[in-house]
Amino acid sequence: MNPVKPTPPSEAELHAWVDGQLDPGRTGAVTDWLLQHPADAERVQSWQSQRQGLQAMQRGVLDEPIPLALARAIRPQPRRYGLQGLVAGLLLATGFAGGWWWGPGLSQPADQRAALPGFVQEARVAHAVYVPEKRHPVEVGAQEQAHLVQWLSRRLGTPVKSPDLQAEHFFLMGGRLLPGRDGKPRALFMYEDGGGQRVTLLVSALDAELSTEAGAAFRFAHVGSTETFYWVEGRLGYALSGDLPREQLARLADAVYRQLP
Amino acid sequence: MSAGPEQTLVHIPRLRRYARLLTGDASRADDLVQDTLERACHKWSLWRPGVDGSGLRGWLFSLMHNLYLNQVRDQLHDRQASDIEGTDEPSHDPFAHTPERLDLEQALARLNPLLREVVLLVCVEELTYAETASLLGIPIGTVMSRLSRGREHLRHLTEGGTEARSGPRLKIVT
Repeated sequence: MNPVKPTPPSEAELHAWVDGQLDPGRTGAVTDWLLQHPADAERVQSWQSQRQGLQAMQRGVLDEPIPLALARAIRPQPRRYGLQGLVAGLLLATGFAGGWWWGPGLSQPADQRAALPGFVQEARVAHAVYVPEKRHPVEVGAQEQAHLVQWLSRRLGTPVKSPDLQAEHFFLMGGRLLPGRDGKPRALFMYEDGGGQRVTLLVSALDAELSTEAGAAFRFAHVGSTETFYWVEGRLGYALSGDLPREQLARLADAVYRQLP
Repeated sequence: MSAGPEQTLVHIPRLRRYARLLTGDASRADDLVQDTLERACHKWSLWRPGVDGSGLRGWLFSLMHNLYLNQVRDQLHDRQASDIEGTDEPSHDPFAHTPERLDLEQALARLNPLLREVVLLVCVEELTYAETASLLGIPIGTVMSRLSRGREHLRHLTEGGTEARSGPRLKIVT
């Protein structure tokens, strides 16, 4: 017998112990109690494994692309212009993908990175390489914006434009031409806010097959602190990357979407 | 700054997971998410960031909770059952006819919806008890009692009976 009889924990305290919500001052006492009371310990252990089991269930849904039907359910407020462009873009995007629900199976590959389309991987690499660049972050500066856009449109073989993100306090720095893995060129635009935070937008012309396969859904990917928001519009793939909270990047992506040609 | 309903976009994956666990059915779940988003847009002007400290995600979850409860009530009505609270009482006694052990997913599906919600919000969404109470609009004591009943029901369903079971001992993680 113990010299000091411990206070039996309440039922609520046992749950709080499992959920990490116990008052730190009681943790030691409850832990001691459990070590000495196997029946309680067994219950608590069962709750712990339930908790882990439940957390593992349907976890894959978190990495699945957002079905268009759901993204479309988000309507703009009548007074705002907020999501009109996004919604319109989504409606357009459904045009080329008859079955916008991505293929027959609902499950996505467990390794999300492996499942990223090539242009998104390229976008992430370009973001990582050029964002920290101090002297030569862009090849053609924003002061030559008209030339930049003409040049990149010509090289990609389709009209591209550099969206205006000033309403979101990001300003065009310029852009560059990048080689894609398939040997085709990519366009990269870079923006910066007043605090020196940079975001990049990679635009890639896609094969018809790829654009159908990868298209018709908004997707997020994140590795480390970099979030990428990507989608396909017509024959172009867009990937917006930034070291920003997802909410903020989503607003920027919305702004890009609204201005698509 | 735009601060419209498009902010809900980033919460969709979590809403979908929660809805799937709640309904146990992928297409019913997405219907529920869709209804939730439409409701959120409709009621957008009512949302005030931080009013109850739970943020946009909490607000969306509480909208989903209300829609889900309505669905469950309709189903009960169709089955002419009187009261949600009563559905885990003896007529649906999970201990009575469980010769086999269920896996966790099957057990979750058998749980009373009110208990299921609390278990999921605490275990999967990792909300505090106070956040759960505020989201569901119930006292914290009710959260604790539903959590306790929910966990015990799951335990009995998955462990196949009330008799003591010899299993691995509790691991204390420090």
